[in-house]
Amino acid sequence: MIEFHLDGRSGVAPYLQLIHQVRHALRLGLLREGDQLPKVKDVAAGLAINPNTVLKAYRELEYEGLAAARPGIGTFVTGTLGDGASLAAHGPLRRDLQRWLAKARGAGLDEESIEALFVSTFRSAREEDIA
Amino acid sequence: MTWLTWRQFRAQAFTAAAALAVFAVLLAATGPHLASLYATSGISGCQATSCEHLASNFLQQLYAAGTYWVLYLLGVVIILLAPALIGLFWGAPLIARELETGTSALAWNQSITRTRWLAVKLTLTGLGAMALTEGLSLMQAWWAAPIGRAVGHGAGGTNLAMGRFSSLVFATHGITPLGYAAFAFTLGVTAGALIRRTVPAMAVTLAIFAAAQIAMPLWIRPHLFPAHHTVIPVASLESISLQQGGLNGRSFALSAENLPGQPGAWLLSSGAVNAAGHPVSTTPAACTAQSVDNDTPAFLGCLDSHGIREAVSYQPTSRYWAFQWTEAAIYLALALALAGYCFRRLGRRLS
Amino acid sequence: MTAVIETGSLGKRYRRLWALSDCTLSVPAGHVVGLVGPNGAGKTTLLSLATGNLLPTTGTIEVLGGRPAAGQAQLARVGYLAQDAPVYAGLSVAEHLRLGARLNPGWDAGLARSRVERLDLDAGQKAGTLSGGQRAQLALTLAIAKRPELLILDEPVASLDPLARREFLQDLMEATAEQGLSVVLSSHLVGDLERVCDYLIVLVGSRVRLAGPLEELLAGHHLLSGPRRDPRSLPDSMQVISASHTDVQSTLLVRTSGPVLDPAWMVSEVALEDLVLGYMSQATGRGRRNHLEVQR
Repeated sequence: MIEFHLDGRSGVAPYLQLIHQVRHALRLGLLREGDQLPKVKDVAAGLAINPNTVLKAYRELEYEGLAAARPGIGTFVTGTLGDGASLAAHGPLRRDLQRWLAKARGAGLDEESIEALFVSTFRSAREEDIA
Repeated sequence: MTWLTWRQFRAQAFTAAAALAVFAVLLAATGPHLASLYATSGISGCQATSCEHLASNFLQQLYAAGTYWVLYLLGVVIILLAPALIGLFWGAPLIARELETGTSALAWNQSITRTRWLAVKLTLTGLGAMALTEGLSLMQAWWAAPIGRAVGHGAGGTNLAMGRFSSLVFATHGITPLGYAAFAFTLGVTAGALIRRTVPAMAVTLAIFAAAQIAMPLWIRPHLFPAHHTVIPVASLESISLQQGGLNGRSFALSAENLPGQPGAWLLSSGAVNAAGHPVSTTPAACTAQSVDNDTPAFLGCLDSHGIREAVSYQPTSRYWAFQWTEAAIYLALALALAGYCFRRLGRRLS
Repeated sequence: MTAVIETGSLGKRYRRLWALSDCTLSVPAGHVVGLVGPNGAGKTTLLSLATGNLLPTTGTIEVLGGRPAAGQAQLARVGYLAQDAPVYAGLSVAEHLRLGARLNPGWDAGLARSRVERLDLDAGQKAGTLSGGQRAQLALTLAIAKRPELLILDEPVASLDPLARREFLQDLMEATAEQGLSVVLSSHLVGDLERVCDYLIVLVGSRVRLAGPLEELLAGHHLLSGPRRDPRSLPDSMQVISASHTDVQSTLLVRTSGPVLDPAWMVSEVALEDLVLGYMSQATGRGRRNHLEVQR
């Protein structure tokens, strides 16, 4: 059974942190299919956070197909992450990114401008996806 | 709620029980001896004429012995103080303490309404208060029964010879202590509810209760029933108080201490009146000689010959229990009214 | 979802001072509601009205669909923990549990006992000798073992040390999860509230300034920082809550439903503390309210 922790200063919403920790555990193999996630009550008590926050994280995981709730018993892992196929795609993508970064620096952008450009493009792309 | 009331009341209950026990022991230790003294005094089988004399002797004997007088007074004081102490230590903190310490927030947010909370507390503690005070009174009455009987036979002449209508005896015998206890207790609870601090509530309770206990015998009790009036010859008076004064004995005041033919009556007032029925305090010229010589029988005879008689207003002894019931009822009614006010006040949300 | 607390223009006046005015709320069930505001804002008054400790001067209030403290059944559905966790100093821990058992028909003796054991409380110890944290835990035990639907707590952790505070909140969250409680919790310490609450009511100067699900409120407010601007020049879709200016720069707390597209602004997300401080300065005016804010 994994244990959650919260970073109060990361600026990331608690429920997102929980989701990230579950996905991280899945990637590392700490959680496998069929394992039970910690009970909502125990997570809420352990971290002194609102149970609805935990419920929201677990529901999101359910929506992503990574977990399933069994009423009265608990929430269990149903999916996996990070199979070899997607990891293989990381290499070419990383090289593309390095080439782009070199171009951006060559155009005279400093680090903060590069980061701002990336974040705003990333966000607007995500919003287009949702729309 | 019964358990909680008892648990919060436990300390006061034990104190009261201890005091009651000590008092009981004192009375039990001396009571039988007192009874035997009475038995040997011969009053029980006395003839009508000798009764008064035997009874007075008995009481003088007791008074001279010292301890009985002290114990009697002690008993009277305890019974008079008990309602006041109950009002202060059982009544005033009942609501005030809960508000002061904030525990009212705990008590009144359990699944019990304030009305029920107060009802149980008032009833159980109030009944306890009445039982305690009346218990003290009954124990004293048992112990002092011989004294009472002696007084009933017309004994006089000592401090012990207090008639049952006298302020001290009336307030400590019969059922009036019940009424006082109920009143003092609910007075304390109400003061606590209004003032919301225990110590100031105690002070206010004491002040008001004391005022009531002074006002009742002085101004209210005598008028509970219409007084009887009678005019009697001065010569027939048996026990009097005569004051003579002024220049050459020009003024006098004559008051009777008992009423012939009405043993045990409560004398409200008495004074000399002339033939027309008007009060008189000037000594007739012809009688000044006797007054200067302090020759009482002659003086009285002289007054009599001038048509001066004694006007007495009194309450007959047969009315004793009527007075007891009425006074107790007044105090109980006050207690109920105060309790009702507390319920309304609590319902309107104190804080 | 039904409302646990529903008020309509609720107001309470003490002599000449209005402790709470024009309060209209519909607090949904199933949430941990944080009631935030500076001292003296009216938090205790609102909670006292909800528990039936006070009667309103004007307006209406309904708790769980009934009149507060209307009778035994209503009282059984609401648990209350007053400020500073009052307990009977002369009664022992076990006697407090007995009190709960005798006075509450819905009392869960097993829950109470297991809590006391887990807290390592000595059953025979007089409550007056307990530490502040232990008293708070005892009071919490009494409140939750009667199995209420709604739990109301007035500044429950204000006087506790950080460890006691954390343990109290942990136990509160556990009970909330286990019993499906709705909780209304007042505090002027915003740090704890952020983790624990998912619905927020901001009370400043005896009025409700903000009420809604916490996440929505945080997402709908932004901290804008940029070159000095008159707040009135901002688009109508942006409501300026508070503003501060230097000669060249303006920092604004705004409420808006859409994204902030003007590139001149540096946009930061707000934390609960920023939100409360912003509404507090709006309420106190600071002498600049009248001509600096866009009123909606």
